[in-house]
Amino acid sequence: MSLAWDLFVAPLESQAFQKALLGGSLVAIVCGVMGCFIILRRMAFLGDALSHAMLAGVTAGYLFMQILFGVEAHAPAMLIGSIVAGIVTVALISFVSKVSRIKEDTAIGIMYTGIFAVGGVLASVFSHRIHIDLYHFIAGMVLGVGDEDLWLMAIVAAIVLATVILLFRHLQLTSFDPVMAASLGFPVVALDYVLTACTSLVVVSAVNVVGVILVVGLLVTPAATAYLLCNRLSRMMMISALFGVTSVVAGLYVSTWIGKVATGPSIVIASTLQFMVVLAVAPKYGLIADWLRRRSMVPQRLVEDILGTFRYSSDNRLAFADIASHLHDSPSHEAVRRALRSLERQNLMTESAGTWVLTDEGELEAKRLLRAHRLWESYLQHVGTPLDELHNQAHQLEHLHDEETVDYLDDMLGHPILDPHGQEIPEDFMHLVPGEPVKASLLRESMSATVVEVADELAKFDVAVPSIITAGPRTDGDAIWTFHLEDGRTIHLNHDQADQITVVLVSPQD
Amino acid sequence: MTSPTPSPPFAIEIANLTVSYGPVPALLDISVKIPAGSLVGIIGPNGSGKSTFIKSILGFVRPDVGEVKIFGESAEQAKGQVAYVPQRGSVDWDFPITVREVAMMGRYGAVPWWKDLGRRDRQIADQALEMVRMQEFAHRQIGQLSGGQQQRVFMARAMAQGAEILLLDEPFAGVDAATERAILDVLAQTKKAGRTLLVVHHDLATAAEYFDRLLLLKQRLFAFGPPQAVLHPRLLSEVYEGNLRVFADMQSREFVADDEVSR
Ligand SMILES: Nc1ncnc2c1ncn2[C@@H]1O[C@H](COP(=O)(O)OP(=O)(O)OP(=O)(O)O)[C@@H](O)[C@H]1O
Ligand SMILES: [Mg+2]
Repeated sequence: MSLAWDLFVAPLESQAFQKALLGGSLVAIVCGVMGCFIILRRMAFLGDALSHAMLAGVTAGYLFMQILFGVEAHAPAMLIGSIVAGIVTVALISFVSKVSRIKEDTAIGIMYTGIFAVGGVLASVFSHRIHIDLYHFIAGMVLGVGDEDLWLMAIVAAIVLATVILLFRHLQLTSFDPVMAASLGFPVVALDYVLTACTSLVVVSAVNVVGVILVVGLLVTPAATAYLLCNRLSRMMMISALFGVTSVVAGLYVSTWIGKVATGPSIVIASTLQFMVVLAVAPKYGLIADWLRRRSMVPQRLVEDILGTFRYSSDNRLAFADIASHLHDSPSHEAVRRALRSLERQNLMTESAGTWVLTDEGELEAKRLLRAHRLWESYLQHVGTPLDELHNQAHQLEHLHDEETVDYLDDMLGHPILDPHGQEIPEDFMHLVPGEPVKASLLRESMSATVVEVADELAKFDVAVPSIITAGPRTDGDAIWTFHLEDGRTIHLNHDQADQITVVLVSPQD
Repeated sequence: MTSPTPSPPFAIEIANLTVSYGPVPALLDISVKIPAGSLVGIIGPNGSGKSTFIKSILGFVRPDVGEVKIFGESAEQAKGQVAYVPQRGSVDWDFPITVREVAMMGRYGAVPWWKDLGRRDRQIADQALEMVRMQEFAHRQIGQLSGGQQQRVFMARAMAQGAEILLLDEPFAGVDAATERAILDVLAQTKKAGRTLLVVHHDLATAAEYFDRLLLLKQRLFAFGPPQAVLHPRLLSEVYEGNLRVFADMQSREFVADDEVSR
């Protein structure tokens, strides 16, 4: 109790801490909001440039008042100086990238270092006249903010938030699709300047908190953290502001607890840690979610391979160990179990007392895959693949088993009955369905069907329509089809001829 | 009379090629032999595997079954014999490089990295530029050329490479009529120099005029041969199912032709 009091409430009694908390939170909120635009428009480098350029502006503003009017550390002049420096930098950057082929990021690099260097020269030449510590602009000194600074932060926050709320749709559309924004008559260029001006303001007030060098961290990190969690810009802005505030609060506390730690860096470390944690656990775009998704995804190949193992079973039942032992590239038992569960969910399989049983649907699916496998083997033999490589290659290829591919192979190979190992290729049960018209070449021995159409070229065989034909055995290396006609005649047809008779399978019970 | 070591008659021999990215094959059982020195147009609807076909010849995608032979050698051994002319959209036209330097890039593969390009390489690059009639632009930056000229520069680069086979993926996409002419000129010139060209093309109306042979692709090879045979309405309606406008157009042409014959 008293420990918690000491840790959390006691620091609040210090006025410096209160002001830091208030100022830091104000700054964090606007940084979070503007940061969303900055990362969506890929302007992070520009934010960095602005923060450096403003250091030159501060120096110029200070010297201007000091030399001309003898006023020391005139805050409004320094503020105006830094904003002017920001605007000059942006204007020079867009000038250079427009009139030359220099791309924008390079132009930023040229201009901000140039202006920053001018500030450095001014500060060293007039070092005898500068009576404030410029260091706090570099490292930030949130625990030393005065009332004037607080006012500045509040005004900046008011202006920026009002602008973003009033112009939300305009800013959203120009960021997402500037071409369309222009076609709607939005002043795209002016809106760009509005955004840049707001960014400059935010940077100016944020420098007090974390310093020139770390400003970008405060602008970009909370926004990026929110980006991992949100799918809508408005929500992203709110969450980003919240993350900004939490990192300021955490950073302030930690630096007071540890004592000598600078507040700026500890605020930025807090926001970076926050980002890393969210990156790991974010529900949609996070690493853990991604890992879980990938883990729970059952590879289709494994599912198909498992169905394939049932060709080693005579009664469509296999124990888990048998399934695992028949699988080719020995996947983990965990993966096999997940795949089996997935098959169960698809009603292709059921489990009873440790044995897996194919359902009727599962049996059909397994038969379809077996057909694809054996047709691919026949195809591979047909194109001259050595016999001992057939099985393994076909095992890879059987995953190409869409109906069109399998039909093509079957037709191309002349509807083979046996595969190269002499095992029967299941008949084309996808098309051989009672009531569906098919080519007579699909009929296997002893199947009966009603003839519904015969091409004119087959006139000499005089097949009546309608009539019942029954397939006999295939001869001549399975290249000649035999059909028994209703009138007792038997005819022999080649593949092309058999294709020209359209039949409808007679269902077994008829 | 015996001719000394006859040159192999086929530039590209593809046997039983099947390529898949997922459960459905992008190319299925393609077998085709493309004679050296021919100008072949590859046609087929969107997603029919034209780009995949090109990529398999380049050796960018691994076939599931089958093989690709370039002048009788396997694709790996024939590296450098096949040049790819990129789509115009994929080039940074602001890149600080002149026409001649682009042509010279064609020689980069022939020179070990510790050596400079020799006089011979420069000559070859210049000859290639001459062939596409771009020598007068040799010192221009590549952004300051018309679309047709840009295409020609990359054709020159392919030729400087010494590649016997050139693959072009939709060179006519989004170019005006004049540029289309200019590109056609270069194709004709290149063919005259004995090279083999494979060009992915979308416009059936011009296909017959532009190419000696057409290759009609939709997952499988539907036809390969002279344009009149490949642009058969029955074949096209089978491949471009639903795309009736093209089909209707082809048919009306045929009727016109029939009319002329009967008169
Ligand atoms: N990298 C890839 N990953 C998965 N599938 C792909 C990939 N590339 C192509 N495909 C698929 O392969 C098939 C053939 O694609 P391909 O790019 O070869 O077609 P295309 O004939 O060039 O089409 P287009 O005329 O539109 O350029 C398409 O169904 C396509 O969706
Ligand atoms: Mg393509």
